This record gives sequence, structure tokens and C-alpha cells, in this order.
Amino acid sequence: MTRRSMLQGLGGLGALGATGSLAACGSAGAQGVGDLAYWHLLSGPDGVTMTELVDGYTATDGAPGVKQTVLAWGAPYYTKLAMASSGGRAPDLAVMHAARVPGYAPGGLLDEWDLDLLGEFGVKKEDFPELIWDKMVVDDKLTCIALDSHPFVLYYNTDIADAAGVLGSDGLLLPTNTPEDFRELALELGAKSPSGYGLSWGYLGDGSNQWRMFSTYYTQLGGTIELPEGGTMQYQEELVVQTAEWILSLIDGEVGNPGNDGGTAISEFATGSTGAFYGGVWESGSYRNEGVPFDMTVIPGVFGEPAAYADSHSFVLPHQSSPDEAKRRSVHEMVAYLLKNSISWAGAGHIPAYSPVVQDPAYAKLIPQSHYADAIDHLVYDPPAWFTGSGSDFHTYFGNDMQNVWARRTSPLEGWNAFVARINDLLAKPSPM
Amino acid sequence: MTTADGVTVPRTSPRPNAALTGGPISEGRRRRRRAENIRGWVYCLPFLIAFGLFLIWPTIYGLWMSFTGTSLAGTKTGFVGLANWTEALGDANVWTSLANTAVFTVLSSIPLVLIAMGLAILVNVGLPGQWFWRLAFFLPFLLASTVVSKFWNWMYNPQLGLVNTVLGWFGITGPAWLQDPSTAMISVVITTVWWTIGFNFLLYLAALQNIPDQLYEAASLDGAGRWRKFRSITVPQLAPTTVLVLVLQLLSSLKVFDQIYQMTSGGPGGDTRPVLLYIYEVGFTGYRLGYASAISYIFFFMIIIVSLAYMVISSRRSVKA
Repeated sequence: MTRRSMLQGLGGLGALGATGSLAACGSAGAQGVGDLAYWHLLSGPDGVTMTELVDGYTATDGAPGVKQTVLAWGAPYYTKLAMASSGGRAPDLAVMHAARVPGYAPGGLLDEWDLDLLGEFGVKKEDFPELIWDKMVVDDKLTCIALDSHPFVLYYNTDIADAAGVLGSDGLLLPTNTPEDFRELALELGAKSPSGYGLSWGYLGDGSNQWRMFSTYYTQLGGTIELPEGGTMQYQEELVVQTAEWILSLIDGEVGNPGNDGGTAISEFATGSTGAFYGGVWESGSYRNEGVPFDMTVIPGVFGEPAAYADSHSFVLPHQSSPDEAKRRSVHEMVAYLLKNSISWAGAGHIPAYSPVVQDPAYAKLIPQSHYADAIDHLVYDPPAWFTGSGSDFHTYFGNDMQNVWARRTSPLEGWNAFVARINDLLAKPSPM
Repeated sequence: MTTADGVTVPRTSPRPNAALTGGPISEGRRRRRRAENIRGWVYCLPFLIAFGLFLIWPTIYGLWMSFTGTSLAGTKTGFVGLANWTEALGDANVWTSLANTAVFTVLSSIPLVLIAMGLAILVNVGLPGQWFWRLAFFLPFLLASTVVSKFWNWMYNPQLGLVNTVLGWFGITGPAWLQDPSTAMISVVITTVWWTIGFNFLLYLAALQNIPDQLYEAASLDGAGRWRKFRSITVPQLAPTTVLVLVLQLLSSLKVFDQIYQMTSGGPGGDTRPVLLYIYEVGFTGYRLGYASAISYIFFFMIIIVSLAYMVISSRRSVKA
């Protein structure tokens, strides 16, 4: 998170507080359904957009008030949600990352969505891309409703790319299908970049960003990871090493800066001093504000099919011991409203999960959003386990052990084996969920 | 109650002649004393309730939890005996994080005592603008740990940070301070020293100003030089303060959490993770409260052993003296 988005987040929080209390006033007279308690982890520009969407819903006829509680992203959010759910006094609606749902659902922390009820409000199974729907169903139960997918993509500076002659006649980055091609392209970008670096990737101290990069290329190579409870982590060692070596070649001091942290990588790209940047789509708002000329694309599939590491913000029903029928109905209605109006959510860079929005001509006009919308066919989520998903210990541990690999202090296999040992430790213990 | 000559007198009669003055008075006094006692307890009650509720009960409940498989997510696996304890004793992460806590405590406590004393002496020798130095040394202590962590993180930033920029002027390429295993812990220690030294500094300054001037005057008359006065007057006079500062410092260093959580989250590779952070990870992001409790108690017992050792050593020393 940049300082800028922090500040925006603080502003957004203030605004949320204000609307929260207004909503509370407005609903006092509403038809019996009390305020819906809604917890989420969306701060910064995302939080502002969410508040606008929620305000839109509460303004509709007969809608109850909605009281938003915004908590910081990361482990503490999930801890609080788990505690509230296990106590049976959970909020009526919450946002979770879809990749974390498989860990939560089996423990009875989440209640099931009613597809028929959603259908009443015009939301059907067919409205979601297949890869996303698969994430929404856990143990044959509709456990979460995805709002979006937010993949890890490649940003590029259009001025630099133009000067380097790597833009096609359509103004988009030329396709690259082999590692050599991609490296060549990155070097050409670097030749025209003030810093001399074609690529920016921040990894120091950021386990999640290391995992996103690794997962993207490992999947391209055909690698898979399985985490069977009570067993050991299953993976393809050869592909792990190949992936690590490829990533090292991108931060070799020639193509990219060898020792970036997240903030530095962002500032390199934001100030127009590097040609391209690996990052999540959520950074696009900050870059737009900076005024840097950029476009975005799915990370080219240099080893095969492209892959886009992703997670999805999704709606869940935290377990309540005795849910109020009328409230549950309102929650279904609200989620349907948010999905149908998620075009404004796309403004923040996320790809709406609700297909009718993405297929709408209005979405095609959104640039650069429509340029990476094909990522929904290549989404890769974290392997399911109770300790994986955005902001999870899985990411932290990966960063702990692999950072030394990227910093060239240990060999890829040494770092990886240390990581695997810690994951095997977790697998050996019974799941606490 | 036993008097000096070994005669045992009843507890209720504080004076030997009380029995002679008859029952009614002592009866009234007893009643009054009981009323006073009750009033005393009532005054203490708010504190006792809070103390019991938030300290005694959690301590007992935590001990119980360490014998169960309690999970934050509400799933209870009941009594598991010593399973958590044996697992914790065999968990390499417990030992490395305990070692990290110990290393941090040693690395931070020594400068936090010595430098604080040095600063206090420098300010006390009559540097002009004493108020300014006092303010400058104490001010960082008033900052929230989040603020301190955030801006030291930026100062340590390998590419944009102040530290490496300044080193760059001299042609030195600085490391990635917080991400390099060889510099991460020392970087956190430097931040901690800068942040918290003000408190110890203030204690020392107050102690210095309490040393009577006559001692120095008398020493001067006897021809003692500056160094001699420092060694034979200042240091011994500061001894009680040093013990106090050291004990407070050890306690606060042992429970280090905030700045490490915020600056490195225990990285790189767990090299700066103190035991409290590991307990937090196991319990609050790993959901295993029972196991986390067991580690907490192991840490608790270690602190008790260290404290007992300290008490034995210091009492032996005072006996010798």
C-alpha cells in the first residue's frame, strides 16, 4: 500500500463513519428490518467505491440501513471475523477473500447462500465465469458470492513502450511467447527507461507479492500444488527451480532492480522511470492519480498458457446461531444489487465477477480494464487449505523463506525446502477450523 | 502475637492490660475495626474485580487452555493432556523465537542503560540549553510505536531511504537493512534505542540531580579529579537507579512485539521474530489458542527462573557486602 492510498484510506474511513451514522438514522423508520451489519476490509479508493455502492442500495425502495465496519486488511481481519462467527454473534454480511473460504467453511463459521433467493433478485449460476464459480462452491455448498477477481498483471508505460517500438498497431504491447522474447522486450523497454530497468517488481518484506509472482509463472510451467491435510505438500520440484531461476533472471540488475521493496517498485513505475511493473490490478487507481501514461495486460504466457494469480473479494454469511429471516432476505437483495452495479467497482481495477457487467458494452469502453479482462479465463487461486489465501500465513512463510532466494543469499531449492518444511508442519497438525 | 520476652498474648488484645479493662470496650473496638475493614475492602473492590477479571482469571484460564485443543474458531477438542507442552518443547520455532527475544533483550538493554546514563551525564554537566536536550532526548518516547515503525521503515528503505542515501554520499552501498538477515535485528534495536531511551535518560537525570553537591566539593578539597569524582561518587550514587533502570529495561525488552511486528513482521525468515510474535501467530492467525497458551507458559516459567536466579545472586551479593 502506498502512502497516498493510505491517506485516501483515512479520508475514506472518515466518510464511512459519517455515512454509517446517517444510514443508522435513516433506517429507524424502515419496515421492521433493522440495520444490516456489514464487515469488510476495503479501505482506500476501494472503500469509497464500496460506500457509494452501499448508499445506492440503501436508497432503493424498502431497503434497510447498512452499518459498515471497516477493518484493516490482513490476518487481524480474519481473526476478528472468526471470533465473531464462532461466538454466533456475527455480522449479517462480510467480505472475505475467496481463497480463504475453503479454510473457513468446514468449521461451520459460514452459512450457506440461498441460490433460489438470489435468483429471485436476478442472480444465477450462469452469471459467473466457471473458474470463479468453482471457488464459490465449497463441499457442494454455495458458500461465497464473488464480487470480483483481482489478478496479478503486467503494467507498462505506454510512452516508454512506444519509444522502444514494442507497441503493435493497435497500441497494445506486442505479444511475447517465449522467455527469450520476453527478456528481449524487457531489455528494449529498459533501453528507453530513465532508470535503465525494463521491469519493476517489489518483493522485499512482502511475502504475498513474492507468492503472486511465483504462482503465476509456476502455473504457466504447468506446476501444481496440493496440500492434503495430514499428508505432505505435493509439488514438482523441477518446475519450482525453473520458476525461481526465471524470476531471478528478471531481477538480475540488468532487466530489473535486484532489491526492490513494494514501495520502491511502485515509485519507480509511478515516476515513469521503469518500463513495466508487476502488480495487482488494485494499484491502477494510484497510477491514474499520478498521471503516468500506462496500460495493462495479462502477464504473457512465455512458458505456455498465460496464468493470472488472483483472488476474489467475495460475500459471505458469517454463521449466526439464529439468523433473522427478513435480514437474510435483505442481505441477498443487497448482494444482488451490488453485483449488478459492480461496473463502478471495475473503476478500481477489479474485474467484476458478475459476467453481465463485463459483457456490457459500457465495460468495453473502460480502459485499461477491458485490456486485461481476459484474465478471467486464466485465474489461479491459492491451493485450498485452512492456512492459505490472501494475507495468510502461507504467504508470510513463503516470503520468510524465499526472500533469501530472490536476494541471492540461498539457492532456490534450499529456500523452497525450508518453506515446504514449515508447510508440512502445518499439514501434520490437525486443522483448528 | 509474640512479645519480646516470648509471652504469647491473644491477638484481639493489643495491650497486656486490655483484659483488665473489661469486655465492652474491646468488644466495641473490635466492631469498629471490623467496620473499618469492610469499608477498606469496599474501596478496594473495583480494583479487585478488575484485577481478578483481567489478570487472575485469564492467567488461570490460560493455564487450563494449554491442556486443551481450544481453537479460536470455536472448535474444541477438549482435554489433550501434555500434548501441547511436548509439542512446544519440540518445536524449533519456539526455540529460535525465544533465542531472538533473548538476543534482542541483550542487544537493546545494554545501550539503553549505558547510553541513557551517558546522555544524562552530558546534559547534567551543564550543557547550555538544558531544556532543549531534555526535550530532544525524551520526545521520541512520546511517539506511538506505529509512527516510529513507519518512519524508520522509510529511513531503512534500501533504495529511497535516508540511511542508504547518506551512506551513498560516501560511496558506500548500504544493505537492505530490515530484509538482510545480518542487519535486520540490529536495525530494529537501533530504532528501539532511539525510541525508548528518553525514559531511562529522565530517570538518570533525576538521580544525578539528587546527588548532593557537598560530596563533589569535599572530593575537590581532597584533590580528586573529574574522572576520580565520576568513578567514586557519581557511579556509586547512581547504583540504585541503575538497578531500577536495568530491571525495567529487561522486562520491557522481553515483551518486545510492536515495532518488530510492524517493521519486519518477524522476517527475514523468522530472524527477528520474538517469542511473543510467534505466540500471536500461532494463536491468532493460526487459531490454535491451546498451543499458544502452552508456549506462553513456557516463556512465563523461563522469566520466573531468570527472576529467581537474579534474586538469589543479588541477595548473596548483599550478604557478602
